[in-house]
Amino acid sequence: MDILISSISQGLLWSVMAIGVYLTFRILDIADMTAEGSFPLGAAITAHQLVSGTGPVLATLYGALGGAVAGLVSGVLHTKLKIPDLLTGILTMTGLYSVNLFVMGRPNVSLLSDVKTVFTPVDFGDPTLNAIAVGLVVAAIVIAGLVYFFNTEMGLAARAVGDNQAMSAANGINNDTMKIVVYMVSNALIALSGALMAQTNGFADSSMGIGTIVIALSAIIIAEILIRNLSFGWRLVTIIAGAIIYRWIIAWVLDRGVDPNALRLFYALMLVLFLALPLIRKQFQQSMARRENRRRMNE
Amino acid sequence: MPALEVKALHQYFEKGTVNENHALKGIDLTLDPGDFVAIIGGNGAGKSTLLNSVAGSIPVTHGQIKIADKDVTYQNVAKRARLIARVFQDPKAGTAPRLTVEENLSLALKRGQWRNFWASGVKKRDRALFREKLASLGLGLEERLTAEIGLLSGGQRQAVTLLMATLQAPELLLLDEHTAALDPQTSATVMTLTEQLVEAQQITTLMITHNMQDALRYGNRLIMLDHGRIAVDIKGPEKEGLTVADLMRLFKEQSGRELNDDAVLLS
Repeated sequence: MDILISSISQGLLWSVMAIGVYLTFRILDIADMTAEGSFPLGAAITAHQLVSGTGPVLATLYGALGGAVAGLVSGVLHTKLKIPDLLTGILTMTGLYSVNLFVMGRPNVSLLSDVKTVFTPVDFGDPTLNAIAVGLVVAAIVIAGLVYFFNTEMGLAARAVGDNQAMSAANGINNDTMKIVVYMVSNALIALSGALMAQTNGFADSSMGIGTIVIALSAIIIAEILIRNLSFGWRLVTIIAGAIIYRWIIAWVLDRGVDPNALRLFYALMLVLFLALPLIRKQFQQSMARRENRRRMNE
Repeated sequence: MPALEVKALHQYFEKGTVNENHALKGIDLTLDPGDFVAIIGGNGAGKSTLLNSVAGSIPVTHGQIKIADKDVTYQNVAKRARLIARVFQDPKAGTAPRLTVEENLSLALKRGQWRNFWASGVKKRDRALFREKLASLGLGLEERLTAEIGLLSGGQRQAVTLLMATLQAPELLLLDEHTAALDPQTSATVMTLTEQLVEAQQITTLMITHNMQDALRYGNRLIMLDHGRIAVDIKGPEKEGLTVADLMRLFKEQSGRELNDDAVLLS
């Protein structure tokens, strides 16, 4: 039970990041590695701001804003300088590693218990429940905001760019600008997730971004395996479920006494499995159909 | 004021290499408002290059392009969308498949205009207009406003694309062999629809076609390209009643060669 509740709290915070990754991954069809840098960037900026005495809400927003700037950089590199999307992400992520060290001034910033965070005013008597409450509110605001945005004139234009660039250009949509907008929104959300994570964990660390993209993609793909063909808004809701389930699997494995050092290997293997699952399922169905066919032919 | 002015347009591909291709060799073309021009020509004649140059999808090597008196020579496709609407050969190319019918129409309604992030993308007040326009196609699509457009057939999508292109009348409509990928019956339906939409709003239209019958039948002007030059240009009364035989004779007079390009003759 404890594992489930802690998985929900952790999964909710991860889901904000997974939703951010979903925007570039499914709308623009880009696996944007910038996530690995913007997640710790959000954490670093927010932790530094909190330690410097900025209010928690403002500090969190600064963190998200930092992510938007990281998205702007990747977006410009990809669209204006025509650097391939995967390489763009790797470049920004690599650069951000140094930026994050500069922001924090050292590899790790601890938030001592007297530092106020966004979780401080919430009091359900248990830190995990507080995290769930804040996570739910943030996820709800994020999803409502995204559903609203992607149904506005500009949001429709952004979706059209991901769908058919010849069509969007022919209708006067500036493809580069719209891609940059999606990059910025996506990385702002990823950084927001990092900012929240730093506040529940009580520290920001320069290496906390490793594995971000794998976690996010796993959550997305679990959501897509769970229920296929959903509208945009419901898909975002299922990504929350995907992130929680994923976190639950991880927590369960750790609880079985698996070496924590093996964790990222496990992340990678899980994602390989999830990505291969549709193919495995199809081949299984085919072989069953063949067996059935053979049986009938022999009758 | 001409709707389209193309002056001394040259297009080279891979200029300065052994593969150099001088695709357009000084095209001068002026379209009056309301002109419906069919452009024919064999493979490599320069039809697509001309259309793509006007649309802005390939940069101009030399020359000038003006639409409604505005110099667009150095504007990209998105900028020119204020003045131009385009229907592609591939029925999939003109619509965004994962967006619904009404979302696609809404996008087209704002062609070339600023799109903000506070007004909703599909507006309630536009739905009546969409229904009415879709009903005029006679394909029953007025009941499928919220269906993903990727679920429609090629002919249906091409009909919707045409509607999108004319929803907000452009200064210039470009039709890029827009019936070539459809079966003969659907192709005929889409051509009839094209004529209706173009005539209703008197839209200046440039239509590339491989189909000589369509070129003779539709529009008030016919242009035949040959090796990057305009070989035949007939308009108004002269074009009325023109036959394939006339066209072949005209071509020979102008170019001094027999017209023997299978791609043009057989279709």
